[in-house]
Amino acid sequence: MSNEEIVGGKYKVLKDRYYTETDEWITIENNTAKVGITDYAQKKLRDIVGVDLPQVGREVRLGEQVATVESVKAAADIYSPLSGKITEVNEELTTSPELINKDPYGNGWIFKLELSDTKEIEKLLSYEQYIDTIKKREGL
Amino acid sequence: MFSSPLLDIETKLNADIGEFAGWQMPMKYTSYLDEHLAVRSSCAFFDLSHMGRLRIKGKIDELDKLVAKEIKKEKIGKMIGPTAFLNDKGGFEDDVMLYKVNEDEFLVVTNAINREKIINWIRKNSQLNVEDLTFDLAMIAIQGRTVWNIIEKVELQPLEFKLNTKYMNEEVYLISRSGWTGEDGIEIWGRPETLSRLIIKLVNLGVKPAGLITRDSLRQEMGFVLYGEDIDSFITPVEARYWVFSLDKEFIGREKIVEQLKTGVDKIRIGFKGKKNERTIPRKDNPFMVLGNKVGYVTSSTYSPYLNRVIGMGYVKPDHLYLGFNLNVDVRGKMIDVKISDFPLIG
Repeated sequence: MSNEEIVGGKYKVLKDRYYTETDEWITIENNTAKVGITDYAQKKLRDIVGVDLPQVGREVRLGEQVATVESVKAAADIYSPLSGKITEVNEELTTSPELINKDPYGNGWIFKLELSDTKEIEKLLSYEQYIDTIKKREGL
Repeated sequence: MFSSPLLDIETKLNADIGEFAGWQMPMKYTSYLDEHLAVRSSCAFFDLSHMGRLRIKGKIDELDKLVAKEIKKEKIGKMIGPTAFLNDKGGFEDDVMLYKVNEDEFLVVTNAINREKIINWIRKNSQLNVEDLTFDLAMIAIQGRTVWNIIEKVELQPLEFKLNTKYMNEEVYLISRSGWTGEDGIEIWGRPETLSRLIIKLVNLGVKPAGLITRDSLRQEMGFVLYGEDIDSFITPVEARYWVFSLDKEFIGREKIVEQLKTGVDKIRIGFKGKKNERTIPRKDNPFMVLGNKVGYVTSSTYSPYLNRVIGMGYVKPDHLYLGFNLNVDVRGKMIDVKISDFPLIG
């Protein structure tokens, strides 16, 4: 079974992760979440030219603004999808922010988070729910 | 919402379509970094079918009063521009390119956002006959450092144009030696089906398609203004440092220009460059600060793929226009340092 679905012939959604209404994706392994922005988000932002990364060690709460992605079009806030402590950031984005455009679900990841409340995972969207979110926004 | 008549072929070339000035246009194809550098190092083409294209017929004296630059003494076959239609307060109604076809016939290229406004403004202020060609003809620009390897026989000097001619064995309405990227090149007006065939020929010759995001970053590197961002009906050519007028003749707005040249202005356009490794981009209306005081505001900014730094332009009080002077820009509460730089920013 393929791990991906293309929504509206354009936006790739991977089945092996969670999502948020604010277009972050999340994978979870050993109590640590890896977070990035979705293919839909990067396509809407178009060319990404800068990323303001969060401080490692910072304690964040679910829904808190933690990073900013600068595109030629606008600056977009990135929100923490879960509560916890930032344990790692993708330093490569400092010099190559276009990695988010090229590989949003892989090398374009933004930060990692050690979870303080695993129950919050239930609040995240499944890939099916996120596909529905995109379809609704795009009128599909 | 209008659409470029070339969207079918552009969609096949994987264009990312978006909205600009009420038009569906290609924003980019691969990435603006690649497309931008292609123009600076080789060659690319742009769809500019959104730009307003008007044919104006009537007495040259009437048009002469509306346009800020000298047109009566210019030769037939000469492109005059950039120039401007100004209001009686000296503000820009639009900045335009003019083509002198005959003593009583001109072509005008307006900004897409101003097309209807300019048609109405010309009709209100003159008896000239205005015909809108925008929806009959598509328009593309081919720009870049190696452009003449692609276009071998144009036989055009800078600021010249030809009407009803052939380009790469296709009948086109207009071909001119012009562009807006800082690189050499040509612009072509033709029927959409003709220009769609030309696009295929260009792609087969290895010319990259480029979108409007790239056009915007290229023009900012040159310090060229964009209507609605850097100039508008409240900004004069003196404030914008945009020398689009001739004081040797009468035209609407001349009085204000003369006054400003005599007594000075309250604000003046500057260019700026950010520091290496700074990737926070100032946005329109972000304030320029000096010692905690607001001294101006940003009108355009982007990340220059050529300089690898943030660049842009805006207005400051004339007292703060020192080349090389450092300003802070307040970007959503974060202060970033920029240095006032002369145009072109890549010079």
